[in-house]
Order: sequence, then structure tokens, then C-alpha cells
Amino acid sequence: MSDATLTRKEEAAPQKERSSGTGTLVRVAKFTALRLVVLFFTVIIGIYLTVLIANMGGYVDEIRRGEIRSQISISIYMSEDANIKILSAEEKNKLVAERVVIEEHRQGLDKPFIIRSFDFLKNAIVLDLGFATDMVSDSGSKQVRLILLERLPPTLLLWGAANLFLFFAALYIGLYLSRKYGSFLDRMIVALAPTSSAPAWFYGIFLILIFAGVLQILPFGGLVEAPPPENKLNYALSVLEHLILPTAAIILSAIAISSYNRRTFFLIYSQEDYVEMAKAKGVPDRAIERRYVLRPTLPPIITQFLLLVIAIWTGATILETVFNWPGLGRAIYQAIGMYDTPVIVGVNVIYAYLLAGTVFLLDIIYALVDPRVRIGEEGKRA
Amino acid sequence: MKKLLVILSLLVVGTLALAACATPEAVTVYETVEVEKVVEGETIIETVEVEKEVEVIKEVEVEAEPEPVTRQGAWVDTVVFVEEPSSDNAITRLEAGDIDVYAFNIAEAPIAQRIYDSEVLKSYTSYGSYNELTFNPVLELEDGSLNPFGDAQVREAMNWLIDRSYITQEIMGGMGRPRFVAINYASKDSAEMADIIAAMELKYAHDPAKAEEVITARMVELGAEMVDGVWQFNGAPVVIVGLIRVEDERLEIGDYVANQLEDIGFTVDRQYKTSAEASACWISSDPATGCFSYYTGGWVSTVISRNAQYNFGDFYTPLGWGIPLWQAYQPSDEFFAVADKLYNSDYADVAERKELMSQVIPLSMEDSARVWLLDATGIAPLRKELSVAADLSGSIYGATLWPLTLQYENQVGGSVTIAMPSMMTQAWNPVAGSNWVYDMMPMRGAKGNAVIPDPFTGLNLPCRLESAAVYALEGLPIGQTMDWAVLEFVDEIVVPDDAWADWDAENQVWITAAERFEEPATAKTKVVMTYEADFPGNTTWHDGSPFTMADMVMGMIMNFDPSKEASAIYDEGTVPSFDSFMSTFKGWRIVSEAPVVIEYYTDAYSLDAEQSVSNFRAAFPNEGGLYAQGSAAWHNIVPAWLAEANGEMAFSDDKATALEVDQTNYLAGPTVELMKAKLDEALAGAYIPYEPTLGAYITAEEATTRYENLQAWLGRTGHIYLGTGAFYIQKAFPVEGTIIMQRNPEYPDMADRWSQFAEAPVPEVLLDGPGEVAIGGEAAFDVFIDFKGEPYLTDDLAMVKYLLFDATGALAFQGQAEPVEDGYWQVVLDADTTGALTAGSNKLGVIVVSKRALVPITQTAEFVTAE
Repeated sequence: MSDATLTRKEEAAPQKERSSGTGTLVRVAKFTALRLVVLFFTVIIGIYLTVLIANMGGYVDEIRRGEIRSQISISIYMSEDANIKILSAEEKNKLVAERVVIEEHRQGLDKPFIIRSFDFLKNAIVLDLGFATDMVSDSGSKQVRLILLERLPPTLLLWGAANLFLFFAALYIGLYLSRKYGSFLDRMIVALAPTSSAPAWFYGIFLILIFAGVLQILPFGGLVEAPPPENKLNYALSVLEHLILPTAAIILSAIAISSYNRRTFFLIYSQEDYVEMAKAKGVPDRAIERRYVLRPTLPPIITQFLLLVIAIWTGATILETVFNWPGLGRAIYQAIGMYDTPVIVGVNVIYAYLLAGTVFLLDIIYALVDPRVRIGEEGKRA
Repeated sequence: MKKLLVILSLLVVGTLALAACATPEAVTVYETVEVEKVVEGETIIETVEVEKEVEVIKEVEVEAEPEPVTRQGAWVDTVVFVEEPSSDNAITRLEAGDIDVYAFNIAEAPIAQRIYDSEVLKSYTSYGSYNELTFNPVLELEDGSLNPFGDAQVREAMNWLIDRSYITQEIMGGMGRPRFVAINYASKDSAEMADIIAAMELKYAHDPAKAEEVITARMVELGAEMVDGVWQFNGAPVVIVGLIRVEDERLEIGDYVANQLEDIGFTVDRQYKTSAEASACWISSDPATGCFSYYTGGWVSTVISRNAQYNFGDFYTPLGWGIPLWQAYQPSDEFFAVADKLYNSDYADVAERKELMSQVIPLSMEDSARVWLLDATGIAPLRKELSVAADLSGSIYGATLWPLTLQYENQVGGSVTIAMPSMMTQAWNPVAGSNWVYDMMPMRGAKGNAVIPDPFTGLNLPCRLESAAVYALEGLPIGQTMDWAVLEFVDEIVVPDDAWADWDAENQVWITAAERFEEPATAKTKVVMTYEADFPGNTTWHDGSPFTMADMVMGMIMNFDPSKEASAIYDEGTVPSFDSFMSTFKGWRIVSEAPVVIEYYTDAYSLDAEQSVSNFRAAFPNEGGLYAQGSAAWHNIVPAWLAEANGEMAFSDDKATALEVDQTNYLAGPTVELMKAKLDEALAGAYIPYEPTLGAYITAEEATTRYENLQAWLGRTGHIYLGTGAFYIQKAFPVEGTIIMQRNPEYPDMADRWSQFAEAPVPEVLLDGPGEVAIGGEAAFDVFIDFKGEPYLTDDLAMVKYLLFDATGALAFQGQAEPVEDGYWQVVLDADTTGALTAGSNKLGVIVVSKRALVPITQTAEFVTAE
């Protein structure tokens, strides 16, 4: 967040006279417009950088040319088809050369990279994600939009369920522990916090071994049993059953550290002077928590929450691979491995827009939830 | 005495009376019957076991006769394909019974060990992939530096430097066998040239001292000098750039080679690259730039090669790939002359070919533009209670026979879950859809075939085809192995004037040979294919539509029409391949429709008469499966055809990308909806495709019936993929990564027709003989050849050859073993032979080649010779 656009009003400063309703509207509109313009240009720069990086400054073209020639050569020179085998070396070379020209044209490699980089940018800005170079969606389409959209529901389901649970559980546990500072549970969470250094997929492997391999009470992985149930209710139940282990793995890997972080966070706020003052005044504990601890911590909590929500977009490659979960993480990993730049750019474009939207939304939310924040006031800084 | 007789008589009578009055014993028997089951409107035929009580009137002992098989088509009812990208997970799931087969070639030794150790798993072995070192053949690089591998003798010496046994045993953990020559282990030529290959293995056995000696001598001659243990050229270290692939075992192989080179004084720059990154160097770059000195190459072959003669031109000479690396190859004149003859099939007969092969193998070793390292062994695991045909080269997923051989031991019916690393990775359509190896497996399940390749020899076996007559010009090196394809040599083959020789896309009619050729055309081969007497009446599409001649003609048209500019579905990407095809194709015609007899004329030919039936691309004799990927009826081509003609989608990926539309996918996705709309249109107008030609084969009523069948099929299954094979695709779940296939009860063949292919009959060989032989005396060595404890029939063996290596390690004698009886052969070394040996330790090697499984088996025995 930029300091230039937000003014933190000091507690001790005298109250400024309220502007008229029109003035406020104009100020808010100016701020909104300026903010949108700044974010838009930030997104453009981010997207173009992504285009350059995903194409390795044009080197990917060389890689793709090599791959095209290699694949076509193998299909011709190593063919077991007698119609091909009987051709002379010159005829085979001619056949390969013709097919290479067609394929390079198909992939746009007959145009200089710098021109195509601006094509990428233009399409990305208007969210025309276009067609992948090699990858296809699960249903066989090369539309980047479909490649991503088909993987979105499983990703949202897994990461949404796990992260939302994790977020609210950690919030609740953190608050609880901040009240029970030094208790057995508090010390236990502190002791368990380092276990979160192991990633979720690590826990996943053990969970699979125990619950699927040994006890055989939960599935090994996948989105749903095979064959998938015809009945929708049974289908949903099967998906839920398959969701248990990966969700548990995510939660197990992060619950201790998340709770510890929240607890520390709340502890810091609980020791502010105004909280001590409230305590001294005899304000009840619940009221102190609600008014003096939770309220000022809302902006960072909301920020974390929104960033967490948009982070769901990228999924997680290894965990999805371990659980054979058809999520976005695996799709992105595959795209990177195949140098499928339209998909890589597509993922990042959407993420850039989501991030920009989130930042913009946060500006507004801050103004709503934090009385110290005002929009568009110039000249004053915290 | 009388009393005794009376008592005995009474006892006998009483026993008989009691036996007659005895209540018949009731016993419970279990029988498998087929029942129809309706699931979500879909009628599925399932095999269930029912319990029945029957009365046993009298028990008699009779010789058990094999129960006649009454089941048609596949043994199992249901096959469920699922995705499992991790081999480790797959084994755990197999052991837990969560999946039944893992259709993937596992090459990692620790995982393979888990399979071998398991009590519930077994595996099939295949030999399809192989590794080598590709050298940069340019001696002096652009920057003036020296590339030692530009010298043939240095390259040849690499054969001695590399310890292939170390690679196969230590790096591969035993999952491979050392390879020295450019011929695959599982191939016809590997079997036929086994003695030459064995001699090469001996000549080029690991000998680092010899390697260093040769390399040192050559480096000095090339102007390099050794300074402080490091080779230098013009005052700078000789740097060897190792382009090392990182995805698999080639990472360790590349490092091992680098270590060996460093040990003899070279400076190695190790460049670790993925496939795509490496291709920018070794494929796209000029080797004179020196971006690599050696590259860790790897290749895969999914079918058993029956002709390796092209390998030498392809791998060592500029005859191969038209890219800078290949054009930089400089084989010796002698080597090139022989490789060129083989590459262009420039020999009079099979004997001359064999002679050329005998010459080219040693010459290729002296050139060594490539050093071959190993034939990797892959194993495909499955549960012990199952059996299935597995191709010796292509494994389970590459076997055309899998759907017809997959079976539970002593059980009919049941469901099998097959996992594979990925599937539905590309759009499925029969014209130019996915050819991904794992997608091809379920496609093969749905496809009917006129011929099926033998999974152990690669030779075509007739399925819907009854017989074939192959006519070839005198002198062509074609042979015949089986009796269903009869080979005859003739002086001339004239293409009949009325044969269809090309396609007029504008008028949608065939162009005859008389119209295409100015003078009467001739061809090098003519193949006459005669289908089964009850074909096509015995064949039905999965949606219930009968198979007709229209399906065959449509398939043939579809091999011409997309390459014609006047066509509504013209696809310029198909033109280069089509032009190549037309350079050999001369014509085809339907001789008879009952029985179906088709003949075609072409200049293309294979070394095996049996393979010639599949040389005519447009008429590859799959019933209706005249398409590149899968099979199709004329009526399920129509909706896609109409949509493509309207610019809404395209069969090929190239065209779809160019038009910025989706590639046609018969299984799922947005194109199914588009095709649904087109199907409605076709039905409304009783549309007959290519009416000027197909109008003679299709009536409006038939068209309507077929479209209605397809509509109902689409409603039931959600896709329009059709076949005539042993299984049909009941449903595909692309996001879930699952395909469900059900047994096709209409499939014409009995379930046991292909049972003999459940396991590769690879001979088990035992060589036994004296440990000591007197020089000048006679010695006999016994060769026992079995398969699963049964003697191997003498007629089933193509070769039992012996090689005798003397005490110096040189090949002293070779010859044929003599058959004594089935499963028992003898190698007799006469007095003259042993008399030529000197005192010391000798080695006798026996190479056994079966006609039924093309993998040569070698056994050796050592014996001491003394005066």
C-alpha cells in the first residue's frame, strides 16, 4: 500500500472540519480514479514483465523450434510406416521441412518475438487469454480460459475448504491462547509451531500411508471414486471423502504456526496502553477483546484473508500431485514444463488483476473499518 | 461255504437295493450368467455368479474335458481407467487392491524390487526404450578449439571407456541390458544378427586401458598435448561439453561419462538440460558452434521392429535427419556405401541383405557417431490374479490385444481398474486426434481390427481378415512367415484402369487409374485382402448401427479429401504427408462386397508379406477404422465434418490453431455441443455425406436410422466416440480423469480366440556340458529349451546357434546346434574344433531365437581345455 494515498490521522491531532458532501464525493472519485490508473499501469508493467520472463526474453522460441524439429523428425525418420520408410533421404528431408514450416507458422514462430510480445500484452489486458500452444484442458480444448476454468472448482474446493478452516480456526485459537497466555495449551502450540516447517505434501504422504494404505478407510487420492457415482448426492459424498486427507494435510502442516502467529499478534495488541486503560476502568474482557483488540487488528486480518483468498488461484503443485488432485497447481506446473507461455501468462494475468482488485478493495475496506484512515486527504502523513 | 455264498449274495443285493433307494444328493453349484442391468437409462450386460442347487443322481468319474467357451468378446465386463502419475503410489494402490493394473513401464530399480517382492503382484517385461551417447562429429569448432569426438577413432575408443555393465547394474539397478549396436534387443534383426552382435560385444567389451591408449595416440596426432594431466590444445584445456538430460537415468549416465573423461585428462563442462532446453542445442544449432560434445540420447520404440536396416543411414550418416548435426556426419566411404544400400533397399534378396547387415554392424562400430549404452528393461505391474497380453516392446499399454486377453484367472466377468500416468491429454478424434500412448490404450479397446500385431513378434495376425495374397515384383526382398498371407513374385503388376487412384474433391468422386495416369500404370506390389465370409454382417457399431461398405468407403475418402484444396474441410497441414503417400500409391478397388475383397496397388512394401496389408494408408484394413487415431463410422464423422466445414472446429490441431477454434473432441468439451447441433441438422435433412459417391451405398432411410442411433448414444453416454471393438466407452470424466469401458456383447469373436497371447513364450535356456575338454577330443554340450516347464517345440525355434570363444577371448568357431528332440538340442564340438583350441579357459555361448517371441536368449558355459 502506498503511503502517498493514505493518510493516517494522528490521535492527538485536532479534528478537521468536515467537508461538504460534494467535496467528499469529488475527493473520493479523484482518489478512486487515480488509484485505478496507478493500479492499471502497475498491472500492465507486471503483465509485460511476465510475458518477457515466461518467454525467457525470446529464448523460448529457440527451444520451441528445436522441439518442433525434433518431434517432426522423429515422426518421419523413425516411422515404421512403409510409405514413409521407402522415401529417399531428400524426400524425407523435404517432408520434414514442409511440416516444420507449417508448425512454426501455427505457433507464430515465423514472427519476431518482440512483435508477439506486444500481441501477448494486448490480449492479456483485455483478458483475451487465447489458445494454449500445446496444453489442452481436461475436456480437450486448447482455450486457456477452459484450461484454467476446468481446474478452478477442484482448486477452490480443496484450498478454499482448507484455508478458510485454517484461517478461522487459527483466529479463534489465537484469540483464545492470547487470553490463556502461559497455559498448557499455549505452551503446546508454541512447542508444536516448528512442525509447520514440513510442507503439507509431507504430511500427505503419511496420511495416505496410514489411512489409505494400512487402514484402508479413506481413498488414496483423486477427486472422486472410480467410476464416479451417477447420483449427485453420492458424487458429492465421494468428493467429500476424497477431500478429507488433502485438507487434513494442509491443516496439519499449518495449524500450529498459524495459531501461534495469531496468538502473538493478539498478545501484542492486548498490551497496548489503551487496553490496559480499559482494563483499569473495569471494562469486561469480552468487550475489551471486541472493541480494543479485534477492531484495531481488523485491517491486517482482512488483508491476510483477502490475499489468502486470491492465493487459492495458484493451487499447490506437489500436494496436488501427491493426492492426484486435478487442481490449478498441477496445470501451472505442467505449463511451465512445456513452456506453454499463453497458459503461464494467462494464470499471471488473472492473478495480477485479482491482486490489483484486492489492493483497491482493501483501500476502501480500510477506510470503512479503521476510523483512523481517510481517503484523499493530502499533505498529512502519519 | 453255501452259507457264506448266500450271505455274500444277500449283501450284494442289499447294497444294490440301498443304492437304488438312496435319496439323490443335493449340491450347490455356481454358474456365471449374463444379466442385463439398467444404470441411469443405460443397459449394461454384466456377468454375475449365481448359486443353484442341483441334484446329483450318480457320481461317475470321467475325464475332465475343457468347457467350451461360449462367451463372445472380452473376458471381463468392465474396465475403468484412472490416472495415477506416481509409480510409488501406484504400487501401494495395487497392493491394497485399489487398482488392478498399472499401465506404465517402470524402470526404477527400487520400485521394481517392491513389485518382485510383493506376494500379490506380478509384472510383464518389455524392452522398448534405449539409451546412447550422441557425439558432435565436427573436429575443429568455429572458435578454433578441438572437439576430440570429431575423430572416429576417439569415438570408437569410447566403446572401451564406457562400462555398460556398470551403467545397467549400478545406475539402472539391473533394469536394462548392455547394448552395443544400433539394433533393438526386441527386434527381428537382433535375433537374425545375434552372432555378429555377440562378436561386437566381445570386441568392444569394457577396457579402459585400451581406450586411454587409443585416445592418447589420437590426441597427440591431432596436435593436443597433456600438461599436468590435462589435455590442452593451442595452450588451452580441451573442454568437452556434456549435454546431460536431467529427467531420468540419463542424468547419472551423463555424469558417469563425464567422470570417465575427466579421469583420462579431459576438462568437462556439464550442461544439465531438460528435453526442450537441450533440443535448442543439439537439434537446432550448428554443431560447429560446439554447444555440445556429447549428448545423452534416449529413444523409445512402441512396436517390435521387424526391419532395422534403416538405422545405420538414420543414425550415422547425412541420409538421416535433415538438420545440421546429421549433415555434419562424415562416415567412411565404405560405411556410407553399405548404409546407403540398406537405406534404399538396394539388394537383390534376403541373403544379400543379411550380408550387408553383417558388414554394416562392424563398420558402424568403427564410426561410432553414436555409442549405444543399454536397452532399458521396463516392467508393467498388475495383480497376480489377472493376465493380459503385453507387447515385448510396447508393454501393456501398447498391446493391441489387451482388450481381448485381459482376464481374471479362472473367472469370467468382473471389473478391472487400470491406472496410467495420464490420459485425455489431447482431443480425441479419429482423423487427427490424440495419439498419446496412454490415450491409445482405451482407443484400442474400442477399436475393431482386420489385423492385429502379434505382441511378441510384431507380425500381423488376421482378425476380421480371412486371408491376403501379396504379389510382388521379382527380386523384391519380401518374405512370408505365416500361411494366411500368401506371397507370390511376378514379373509385372499392372494397375487396372478402373482402380480408384485419386479423389476429385470438387465433384466428390473417385479418379480412376485410367484418368490419373497417362499410360497404364504399374506397381511394385499388389495386395488382395479377403475378409471373413460373414463380414461385415458380423460387425456392429457400438451405437447399434450395422457396419456397411459405406463405412469403409467413407474412411478411404477421409484419407484423401482433407488434403484437397477444393474440399470443404481442406487442411494444408496434411498436404506434405499426403503428397508422400501419393508418390507410392497407385490405386485400390473393391473387387467384391460378399465376401468383401479389396485390392490395392502401391510401390511401398515391407520385408514381411504379413505387414504389407497395412502399407496402404488409406485402406489400412481395419473395418471402418481407416483413420489415424481410433475408428469411426461414416455417421459419426458427419457432425464433425459439418462443423469443420462451417469453420467452427477442426479435426487437426494445426488447423484448429490457425482458425482459432477448438480441435474436434469426440469425448467431451465444447465441441461435443457443436456436434450435437450438427447431428440434429443432419438428421433433419437425412444428410448423406459425399453423396455423389456414397449415395450408391447409403439410403436416406439408413441415414436417418444411423443419426437416430447416434443421438440416442450421445444421450446415454455423453460422447460420440464409436467403435466396433470388444469394449465401448460408457462414459468419460475428463476432470476426474476416468474412463469407463463396458464389454461389447456384439463383438463377433469368442473370448478365448487370443488366449495363447496371455504370456510371452520367451524360451528358458539351460546349457550344460563338461567342465574340461581334451584338446583333440569330442565334446557334447546339452541345450535344454523350455517354456513354463514344457519342452519348446523344435519347429517354434528359428535358431539355436553357438559361438565358441577361445582362451584369448577371440571368436574361434560358430555353428548351429542340432535338435535331438523337442526342448533338447546339442552342440557337438568335434575333434578338429577342439584340436584347434589352445590350453586354457574357453567360453561357449548359445543363442536361442524363438519364432514366437523375438528376443534372443543367450547362455554361456565355460570349459577348460588341456592336452
